[in-house]
Amino acid sequence: MHRYVIRRLLLAFPVLALSSLIVFGLMRVMPGDALIALMGESGNVGEKELAKLRKELGLDKPYHEQYLLWLWQMVSLNPGDSIFTNEPIPVSLKKAIPVTLELAALALIIGLVIAVPIGVLSATRQDKPADYVGRIVAVSGLSIPDFWLGTLVITFAAIWVQWIPPIGYVSFWESPSRNLQQFLLPAAVLGFRLSAATMRMTRSTVLEALREDYVRTAWAKGLAGRIVVYKHALKNALIPVVTIIGGQLGVLLAGTFVVEQIFALPGMGRLTVEAILYRDYPVVQTNVMLVAATLVTLNLLVDLTYAWLDPRIRYQ
Amino acid sequence: MPTPGPRKTTRRSVTRRDFIKRAGWTGAGATALLVGARPGRAAAAAEPYPDWIPASTKSPKRGGVLQRAAPWDPPVIDPRLTQSIGTFQFVGLTSSRLIRYAFPEEATGTNDLSLKGDLAESWQSSRDFRTWTFKLRQGVKWHNIPPLNGRELVAADVKYCFEQYAKEGLQAFTFREIEGMETPDKYTLRVHLTTPNVLFPQNVAESVTVIFSREVLEEDGDLKKRLVGTGPYILKEHTRKVRVVLTRNPDYYDKGRPYVDEIVILSTPDAATRLAAFRTGQSDILPVNSLSEVEVARKTNPNAIVQEYKNVLAPFGVALAQDKPPFNDIRVRRAISMAIDRQKQVDTVFEGHGIPGWGVPYMYYQDKAPTLKELGPWWQYRPAEAKKLLTEAGHGNGFETTLFYFEYWPQMTSQVQLVQQDLKKNLNINIKIQKLDYTTYYGRYVENKWDGMSWGFQSGHAIGLDERTYMYMHSKSTKNFFRVNDPVIDELTLKLRQTPDRNDQRAITKKIVDRELDQVLRIWMPYDGGYFLYQPHLRNMSALALRRTDGYGSPTTARLWLDK
Repeated sequence: MHRYVIRRLLLAFPVLALSSLIVFGLMRVMPGDALIALMGESGNVGEKELAKLRKELGLDKPYHEQYLLWLWQMVSLNPGDSIFTNEPIPVSLKKAIPVTLELAALALIIGLVIAVPIGVLSATRQDKPADYVGRIVAVSGLSIPDFWLGTLVITFAAIWVQWIPPIGYVSFWESPSRNLQQFLLPAAVLGFRLSAATMRMTRSTVLEALREDYVRTAWAKGLAGRIVVYKHALKNALIPVVTIIGGQLGVLLAGTFVVEQIFALPGMGRLTVEAILYRDYPVVQTNVMLVAATLVTLNLLVDLTYAWLDPRIRYQ
Repeated sequence: MPTPGPRKTTRRSVTRRDFIKRAGWTGAGATALLVGARPGRAAAAAEPYPDWIPASTKSPKRGGVLQRAAPWDPPVIDPRLTQSIGTFQFVGLTSSRLIRYAFPEEATGTNDLSLKGDLAESWQSSRDFRTWTFKLRQGVKWHNIPPLNGRELVAADVKYCFEQYAKEGLQAFTFREIEGMETPDKYTLRVHLTTPNVLFPQNVAESVTVIFSREVLEEDGDLKKRLVGTGPYILKEHTRKVRVVLTRNPDYYDKGRPYVDEIVILSTPDAATRLAAFRTGQSDILPVNSLSEVEVARKTNPNAIVQEYKNVLAPFGVALAQDKPPFNDIRVRRAISMAIDRQKQVDTVFEGHGIPGWGVPYMYYQDKAPTLKELGPWWQYRPAEAKKLLTEAGHGNGFETTLFYFEYWPQMTSQVQLVQQDLKKNLNINIKIQKLDYTTYYGRYVENKWDGMSWGFQSGHAIGLDERTYMYMHSKSTKNFFRVNDPVIDELTLKLRQTPDRNDQRAITKKIVDRELDQVLRIWMPYDGGYFLYQPHLRNMSALALRRTDGYGSPTTARLWLDK
């Protein structure tokens, strides 16, 4: 097990190195200039001022030097300052990460709360009306994009109940109730999307498990239906579900990028989108690397969870 | 009870819907019904919203919080380093300028561009207009927060600030016109210019020329962390991508003002969310682009006060690489201009409400907005003549070119496509359109090395005549993005700077405009400033020409009050 974890961790380095090269290269290949964007619409900055700014920011150096310098900054946990706002990147991240984490965690909870019971219900009521409803919900979740659902939700909430989440983020510790009001709808939008695939997977794996011999034995022993389904069938059916949740975490993070824009939440998504729009190289590079590292770690954690769920699985 | 807006009174008579309904029921005929049912054009013609909301006659009330959902975020708060609308949507409220434009309650109408003293009580020039003397208001205090702690503002502060602007940053072009400054006493600032400029007071009244404090700059080395001014509001909180909170300055020199206790600007990048925020009362002001959007918002907020934003110029036009063939040929420019159906754009893209487009605010040279006809022969839609002229120029078979743009709002793409269709249909000019993101577009455009065409712009913040003429059209100006290089324009714009008489200024400005239109130096495109919706309890909030209540013109909201 330990060897497996170490091997996976070592494999993570080339993945991250490749990611760093790709993001650095892409940012340099993209047209547009962060410094000119910074000028706004003034037209007042001449070549001299631009050259001075470029030098100050190290953008006048050859690409390989810029890349190595940035890698060193990343390794030494000092990714530098934003070109656009001059704010140190760790400060921006410190503010943005909790927002995205909270949103993602709530979305995950909502997604699971929707997906697992409906998936089980669909499986136990196969080809009955409840199953059809569950499947329609799942297909809707898969086919409706976040940005559309988010816009609809906020628009109809304003029209029908004259309420939308209060704009202007406050942290959970500042005001728990206001904070939860702000996160409820965006997390539900994301969670609904996330639930779709999980719901379908739960349904099919539970269906499969219900046909297994050990479940038939459980029925034969005269166990209550609830115990057979939840204790015997569901537990074994959850392994592929965990796999698919792991795979969905990337989708979840991508979803936060869109949902944060719509619901005006100052998380990683807004930070990154703004940085991309303004070619804020250090911020984009750092954020992408952070997301890449997070996904690598999460995938490893998902793999390790298998063993916990199914003692038969061993990593050799 | 809130005073009903002018629009509300109008709507009680006959609304568009009423008209359609009644026309249908009384059998007024299918044609009349169809015309009435066309969104926009008929509606706009039948019931225009007012472009000016007069000041309230009631006594202003103190207190309350004004909240606004805004799409912009300030990149930095240092006014030397940015001219971003995100920054200047509130910096004009925390900081003063030497001179300002009239507030809505003082203005005689939306076109009133008269200058008033802000920090300066009076100002006058030498006979040659190279020296300007500003007498400062006495007893003006900096915000009572460290490191200024409410000390008095003196002339040396303004001198220092102008010197810093000239030294580095985005305002340098304007302030490098200053040759030297002196402060004969605590309250007098004398500015010597390198060349005569009768319009200099306008330049220091622009929304971006705010006075910042020496102490903060010297202590911090920049103005990125703290913004201490002498304005009606104190910056209480600035959390990027969340909110800006301004609190009333109790020591503001204009005693009893401002009226609103707190202004909160909520960072809200999504348009649907801003609309939802207005609908639910989380936002007091909502700008929208079109009449149909106004009607959508009014379905849930029928009491909202609506103001049509005054169209006084078009900020966008087709910019040509006119320093190179084929666009250096005046016949080609004229042919292109005549091949574009501007009225079609006004009718379709702007729902019948836009202006055909011109570049200098019309009130600087005439009282009424020009009609399309008044723009002259090269601005009329005459495809046959256009084709003839292009053939004369040796391009009878048309040519290939490119046009790059950034979609500032969705309707802009429709406009670009209409131009593409018109030029293909009428002149066989094949335009390859490149839609770019803002940074790429902006970088390419201001770098001024592009070929072909661009959907060009002129800056949004400028009010003054000098900025709108000399700065944007003189061949040596760094802001001459349309690459105007015309000796007559150069001569006239310089002459304008040396002409003190208002009537003479109008005459010269008219000559500049006529020359521009005749030579087709900038091909302006139709435009519509859109509309503002205000919650019914807002008073003295009228947007003024070139001064929107939500952007660079937000200092005009300093005397707004809440009637609730």
